[in-house]
Amino acid sequence: MEIKTGEYNVWNEGSIIHYEGTLRLSGTDAYQPILELMQTVLAEKPQNLVLDLTQLEFLNSSGINLLAKFTIELRKHPDLPVKVLGSTKIPWQSKSLPNLQKLHKGVELVIV
Amino acid sequence: MKQFGDTARNNSSGAFTMRIVISDGPLGVNWQHASETCEFLGDVFALHHAKGGSDYTDARHSIIYLVNELLENAIKFRVPGAIRIDCSLEDGNFELTVSNDTAPEVATRFQALIEEIISRDPGELLIERIEANAADESSSGSGLGLLTLMNDYGARLGWDFSSSTSGAAVTLSTHAALTLN
Repeated sequence: MEIKTGEYNVWNEGSIIHYEGTLRLSGTDAYQPILELMQTVLAEKPQNLVLDLTQLEFLNSSGINLLAKFTIELRKHPDLPVKVLGSTKIPWQSKSLPNLQKLHKGVELVIV
Repeated sequence: MKQFGDTARNNSSGAFTMRIVISDGPLGVNWQHASETCEFLGDVFALHHAKGGSDYTDARHSIIYLVNELLENAIKFRVPGAIRIDCSLEDGNFELTVSNDTAPEVATRFQALIEEIISRDPGELLIERIEANAADESSSGSGLGLLTLMNDYGARLGWDFSSSTSGAAVTLSTHAALTLN
């Protein structure tokens, strides 16, 4: 699956979901196709799940809300190991990603 | 006039400043203006703050996130009319004011949200709001942008509301200040 525009690109390789570019969509409805891609990966009952954000340069607060909502859904799968990958080179990730761990202790946050 | 939060402006008349007015002309104000404006201001003010390295990257990102969130709100909640953006930078203190007209009932709803935001710990309220949004499919997540600014970026926010020149609308000015590293 892949959602590709000139601004951003979201795609999966098995249970690894990659995010790339700048995501600045206008709200919950605009983010719905991306949420559906994430939910489809989850519905395939993977052994583990990785959200790779290391190429996502910018995410607005509506996008942070999307990640938060999905993280809350993951609490229904307490045995599924979840890893969120971030980069120290992209400032928003060290600032805002720790919020996801507050929502779901099972999230392993790796910012390198 | 009603005021909330931290509306004090500390930068002097010697600060590096810039004013941008997004006029509501024949092309209209649209979503794209938020990203174009925030990228431009991020580039200009970050370069004034630091010539390169991680200080530049951090400053540029924080300014872009701040300007974008306030402009997204202005574009979403405004009534027809211009959006005015005033920025200044002095000794690492970045100050921003975004002003636009809004409908009186929208202003009243927003004041209730502001009162909640400034009376609580932003970190706690952020998590509480996210939980509430996830439980309610129809929720748009309003307020999350302001809470991420306060909690994740340490932004100091203030608001003032006054009657618009035409009298039918409310002029809202949102003030923000950020300490750049």
